Amino acid sequence: MFLAKRLVLAHFWVAFAAFAVAILLGEWQMIVRSPLHAWISNPEHYYRSVTAHGTAMAYVLPTLVAMGFGYAICELALRRPLVGMRWAWAGFWLAIGGTLMASAPVAAGRATVLYTFYPPLIGSAFYYLGIVLVVVGSWIWVALMAINLRAWRKEHPGATVPLAMYGNVTGAYLWAWTSVGAAIEILVLILPVALGFKDTIDAGLARVFFSWTLHAIVYFWLMPAYIAFYTIVPRAIGGRLYSDTMGRVAFVLFLVFSMPIGIHHLFADPQVGAGFKFVHALMTAMVSVPTLLTVFTIAASVEIAARLRGGRGAFGWLKALPWEHPMMLAVAFSFVMLGFGGAGGIINMSYQLNETVHNTQWVTGHFHLMFGGAIVIMYFAIAYDLWPQLTGCAPLPAGLVRAQLWTWFVGMLVLTMPWHLVGILGMPRRMAYYDYTHPALQAQAWTVTASALGGAVLVVSAALLVYVLWRSGRRAGTPETFRFSLPVHAAARVPAALNGFALWVGLMIALTLVNYGFPIAQLAVLKETSVPAARVGVR
Amino acid sequence: MRDRSVLWSVVALVALTAISMVIGFVWLPSVHADFTVKGLWDGICRAAGVPASWGTAAEPAPAPLRTTAVVLEPAMARPGAADAVGRGATLALQCTMCHSARGAKEANAPNLAGQYPEVVMKQLSDYQKGDRTSAIMQALAGKLSARDIQDLALYYAQLPRPKNTPVTDMGAVPPLVKTGDPMRNIAPCAACHGGMEQKLGTPWLEGMPKEYLAQQLAQFASGERRNDSHAQMRNMARALSAKEIEELAAFYARQAE
Repeated sequence: MFLAKRLVLAHFWVAFAAFAVAILLGEWQMIVRSPLHAWISNPEHYYRSVTAHGTAMAYVLPTLVAMGFGYAICELALRRPLVGMRWAWAGFWLAIGGTLMASAPVAAGRATVLYTFYPPLIGSAFYYLGIVLVVVGSWIWVALMAINLRAWRKEHPGATVPLAMYGNVTGAYLWAWTSVGAAIEILVLILPVALGFKDTIDAGLARVFFSWTLHAIVYFWLMPAYIAFYTIVPRAIGGRLYSDTMGRVAFVLFLVFSMPIGIHHLFADPQVGAGFKFVHALMTAMVSVPTLLTVFTIAASVEIAARLRGGRGAFGWLKALPWEHPMMLAVAFSFVMLGFGGAGGIINMSYQLNETVHNTQWVTGHFHLMFGGAIVIMYFAIAYDLWPQLTGCAPLPAGLVRAQLWTWFVGMLVLTMPWHLVGILGMPRRMAYYDYTHPALQAQAWTVTASALGGAVLVVSAALLVYVLWRSGRRAGTPETFRFSLPVHAAARVPAALNGFALWVGLMIALTLVNYGFPIAQLAVLKETSVPAARVGVR
Repeated sequence: MRDRSVLWSVVALVALTAISMVIGFVWLPSVHADFTVKGLWDGICRAAGVPASWGTAAEPAPAPLRTTAVVLEPAMARPGAADAVGRGATLALQCTMCHSARGAKEANAPNLAGQYPEVVMKQLSDYQKGDRTSAIMQALAGKLSARDIQDLALYYAQLPRPKNTPVTDMGAVPPLVKTGDPMRNIAPCAACHGGMEQKLGTPWLEGMPKEYLAQQLAQFASGERRNDSHAQMRNMARALSAKEIEELAAFYARQAE
């Protein structure tokens, strides 16, 4: 790497610091609502913690990891110094400033609105302005990714964009368009109320805008993990990428299909027509296509590694895999969680099945398993892979790294599987208190205890992560030259459409307008749809 | 090569969108009588969330059951100017017989000292319009102008609240106050009446006379009192036992030693 080492390191450290604080809050929430602890008597403290946990885990951690990894990819894949270093630091400090600005009112109980905002709840304007600053910081990153790619293209006219950079810029464009929904919600609908210019808010329209961001944001979280699947995993375990083109197809399919599907979060909302709910459900099903393509391609790449190591037979090659390598463990754990979580996701997107799990603990289980499990475990793997490059340290202690990945995997399953189960039994989510003395609930009490224990394992795992990165980063060594995975057919020509973004960004915007244009326009012109704002913590 | 892949990508996406639109807006609605009773176009409009008409003129919607005529607005909760408060103080001389000179602790009438202004405005207005009944209060409120009501409320809002034993031991607080009873759909009192959150239009209860509180809960439970705009108090009170009403009233009525 050239210039960006400190920049990338700063992004990762702040991301993991926020993560370490937020995971403690998460575990505290689990314990105080489990039978292990007497009821804390004040749900306000619980929801404050939920707001901080969600804001740190959903906005701060993934945004900073995506930004930091993106800057690293820029230099490692394009093999040239990052353009716009000062702007990159400005974006970083904006994100830090925003995080601090949003945290203060949450801690003070003036913004207990959860990270999904939930109008007509209205918190302190500083909370929303803080989020806006984080997003603006990330928009600087989006612009820098485009500028760096353009600079590289000028120097390499007609050359194929390296797959890692292609995925990286896909993620940046996806985020730029994804964040527009919540940005409109905050700037146009929420802030005028939070600042006191208005006393009512169109909660239905606000929810539609948020759904625009809410689902696609998970694909922004997911992009670093998928980039790692394609461009780091095969190299790390000594294999080759089965297909470079398949990676590009998966990335652009996410770009096109991740946006216009968010109304599946509003199946129970009366303000959206049933026809649009169906269209969004069907398009949600389409995002399983790039995921299945990825699972197939990466499984094939892993098989190549196994056969290169002497693996034989239809399944015998599995034994030849380098299971002692942390990256092998990480990708295997990630795929297992992706499998369970993906199957759950298909249930969520189905209009009728969704009704049985709507607003239950199933949903909490689903997004923790998918994001906290399948995706975040790859964030760890990315950090482990990049750390020697960033700090110039010796290889990380494989035993500790494996222990960290194992504890994360086991902890996440023990946390989320009971949630899925009680969700089907009907346990509601976002509850601060369950009356376990009630005969109808008593039988489910053990599941909450189990989840709390799973959470405790995750806390241990998070501590291990921080310890490994902190201690190992101080042991000097000479890291090997970094390289991304090589495809099996390195010289294969890439179709022009898969070397650029114009077509896919065009389709993304067009499909969003088709799927969201009418519901938004209709709700915007409908009269008398606003409700009184419920200001949080004012009295 | 480039043109064909671009073309096919666009055609495939358009076809997918068109097919999903046809299924979502035509085919699925066609199996629902609700959607198809007025023809294909009306079905499509309904699937888009915009029925051609929101109701038929032949069947006028029943008049909503009236609970209160007051629309609570955040502006009502703002503190008043000195002249309004002074005028309110003069008007309040009529109220001293029951509510005392300082707005508290007389004749089992509710405390008004330090009460949120929008609460007093709403109750006086409800008495005036007959949405809340009381032989005494209806007679007294009947002759008040809108400005009188506002000034009275602003006056009482700025009086010091009666002293009441502060809660130091959360264990001594009745579970219904701090937790409610989710399995009976009872929200915690403190979620609206202060303690955790204070909602607009919800009265401050600390130090209210026990008899008054118990009587109001009983009236909400029986439906005799029904000026809670969304039946929020009737729904809570109906689920309470007589013993629980007694316990809650005693908790909020506790006085400073």
